[in-house]
Amino acid sequence: MHTQFATEKHVKYLKRHLGLLPSSQQSHDVNKMAIIFYSLVSLSAIGIDVAKEYGSSAQWICRHRIALESSGSKVALSGFVGSLTLDIPNTNTVSLPNTLFALLVLRLLKCDEFFCSVRNRETICAFVSTCQVAEDGSFTSVLANKHFLPSPLDASDLRFCFIAVEILCLLGCRKLQDYSKYINVDKLIAYILSQQCDSGGFGSYGEPHAGYTSCALSTLSLLESLACLTDEFKELTLLWLVHRQVSDEGCMQLQCKNPFFDEEDHGGFQGRENKFADTCYAFWCLNSMNILQFNTSATLGTFESAKMYLLSRTQNTIIGGFSKNDVDDPDLYHTCLGVAALKLIEGTFNGVLFLPSAIDVSS
Amino acid sequence: MFEMTPKMGEFADVEPLSISTGLPDELCEIMYTDEYRELLGIARSLMARGELSERALRLTGRVIDLAPAFYTIWNYRFDILVSLSKDLSNDEKVLRLNEELDWIDEFTLNNPKNYQIWSYKQCILQNHPSPVLKRELPILKFMLDEDTKNYHVWSFRKWCILFFNDFSNELEFADSMVERDVYNNSAWTHRMFILKNLKPTAVEIKTEVEYIMRKINYVPQNISPWTYLRGIYENFLASKYDNNIVEFAKKFTSNVTDLDFEDPNVKLPDIESSYSLEFLAHIYSLQKTTIINAKRAYMGLSSKYDPIRKFYWDSQISRLH
Repeated sequence: MHTQFATEKHVKYLKRHLGLLPSSQQSHDVNKMAIIFYSLVSLSAIGIDVAKEYGSSAQWICRHRIALESSGSKVALSGFVGSLTLDIPNTNTVSLPNTLFALLVLRLLKCDEFFCSVRNRETICAFVSTCQVAEDGSFTSVLANKHFLPSPLDASDLRFCFIAVEILCLLGCRKLQDYSKYINVDKLIAYILSQQCDSGGFGSYGEPHAGYTSCALSTLSLLESLACLTDEFKELTLLWLVHRQVSDEGCMQLQCKNPFFDEEDHGGFQGRENKFADTCYAFWCLNSMNILQFNTSATLGTFESAKMYLLSRTQNTIIGGFSKNDVDDPDLYHTCLGVAALKLIEGTFNGVLFLPSAIDVSS
Repeated sequence: MFEMTPKMGEFADVEPLSISTGLPDELCEIMYTDEYRELLGIARSLMARGELSERALRLTGRVIDLAPAFYTIWNYRFDILVSLSKDLSNDEKVLRLNEELDWIDEFTLNNPKNYQIWSYKQCILQNHPSPVLKRELPILKFMLDEDTKNYHVWSFRKWCILFFNDFSNELEFADSMVERDVYNNSAWTHRMFILKNLKPTAVEIKTEVEYIMRKINYVPQNISPWTYLRGIYENFLASKYDNNIVEFAKKFTSNVTDLDFEDPNVKLPDIESSYSLEFLAHIYSLQKTTIINAKRAYMGLSSKYDPIRKFYWDSQISRLH
C-alpha cells in the first residue's frame, strides 16, 4: 500500500496534459482552459514554478479574451472563451467558468499587468453583471447568442454564483460595496439561502450535495456574509459534512445490503448520502469544513484519515494522477481535486480561491 | 461516421472559418480530426453570419454529437428553432417542438452524463404551446433506471412537477424507487419535496411515520430514513417527539442510554443502528431532564458506534450542560 505522495509521477502526468493532445481529447476542445487551469494549479500546488516554466504562454492565454461590442461598436463587456475555436465573430461565446479559469491561470503565471488594466477589469465585471438572473439573483454561465442577457437555456445554480463572485474578487472586489457596484448582492444571498436543505448542506430542491455546499459557503465567505446563516444551520451543515466521511468502524459495518457502500472507502468522502467515496468530495467537504472553521487540533483524525484514503486508494503511483475511486483510470479533474485536498490538509492551499496559498492575488 | 462530409453536401457554398492552431506558446494543442476541423469550420462560419436555416439546424445536431460540451452551439440551435417556428401556426409549432423534444430524448439516451441537455429541455418546454408531463415521464424513468441517483435527472423531475403542477404520480414513484433501493437518498429527498408541496393532513403524516418505521425495521443502519423521519417531525409536527417514536428508536440501541457510563466496568452492548442512537441523542438534548441520556448516546457514538466522527460527538458532549 502506497502512502507517499508520488511527486515525480504526478508532475509528469500533469505536464503531459499541457502538451500535444490526441484527437480523443477534442470533445474537450471548447473547455481547454479548464485543462490548462487544472494542470497548472496542481503543478503549482506541488511546488513547480509554473510562472517560470509556462509564463511565456500568458500572451496566448490573453488572446482568449473576447471583447463584445454593443450596437454602437463600443466595447461593452468582455470575457474569456475556453478555446480559440470559440472565437467566432458576432456571437457571444464567452463563459463565466472559462473566464475564471483564465484569470486564475494568469495569476499563476504572474501576469500582473493584465489585472492592472482598468478596461480589462471593468469590461469583465460588466460581463459578470450581465449573467445575473433578474428573477432570482442566481447566475447563468453564458449569455444569449446575440443579446447581452443571461442565456435562456443555461442552468443557473450555485456553481455559477460562486464563479461569478470569485471573478469579481480576482478583479479587485473585497467589501460588499465593491461587489454591489456590479451585482445585486442581496438577491444573490437570498438565492443562496433558498438552496439550504433541511438536513444541513446546500442543493437544489432540498437534496444536499457536497459540491454545491462548498460553492455556497465559498461564495458567502468571499462576500464576508457567512453571518447570514443561522448558528443552527451552520451546526447542521457541519454535522451533514462530517457524516459524508465514509467509515468501516462500529455500526458502519452493518451495511452489507447497501449497494453503494464499500468498507475500503474508509476515510474518504462521499458527495451525498449513501454513495461511494470519491476523490473530489474530499476537497469539497474539507473546504466546507474549513470555511465553517472546523479545522482544529480536534479534527486532525478526520483530515488524517482522508489523506490516507487519497494516498492509498485513489492515487495512481504508476502513471501518476488520481482517479475518482479505486476502479477508474486517473483523470485530470480528480488529480487536481486530489492534490488540492492534500494541500488543503497540509495547510498550503486556499480552498475558497482554489489557489495555492503562496499565490498573490492582492495587486 | 458520416457518409458524406458536409463540405461536399449542402454546405458547398459556405466558406469555412477555419480553427487557428499552431500559435506560439500554445498549450494543450489538440490533434483535431479532419471531420472536426471541417464541421467546426462550417459551424463557425454559419454562426458568424447568423444563418437561421434548416440546414444550420441539422449542422448543430452534428456538432453537438461531436462536441456536446460546445455550450454556445446550444444557444445557436435554440435561436434557429425560434426563428424557424415564429411564423408557424400553433399546431405546426407543436409538431416542430415535439420533433425537437424527440431529438433531445434520443441525444440524452446516447449521452446520459451530459447535463446541458436538461436546462435546454426546460427552455423548450417553456416555449412549447402545449407541453405534456406524460410525455416526459418515460424518459425520466428510463434515465433513473439506468442511474438511480443521477442528481440532474432528479432535479429535472422536480422542475417538471412544479412546472406542470402535477404531484399526483410522485409519492408512488418515490416509493417505487425506495422499494428498489431503500438507501437511495435522492428518492427520500424527492418524497420530502413532494410531501411539503402536498401539505398533508395529520392522518397522512401518521401514515407517513408508519411508512418510515417499516423501512427502518427493514434496515436500521441507513441514514436516509432517519434523516427523513427527523424532517417529518420538524416540518409537520413542530419537532414534538412523542414517546412512541422514542420507544421505536430505542429498540435498535439495546437501551444503551440507560447504562451508567461512570461505572468503569460498564460494557457497551452491540446495537443495530448508530443513526437511531444519534436520533435519540438529538431528542434527549432538547430537554434538561434527559440531557444525561443525550450525553450517554454521544459517548457511545464516540467510543464505539461511530468513532470516525469522534471529534464531533465529543464536541456535542462538551456543549451539553
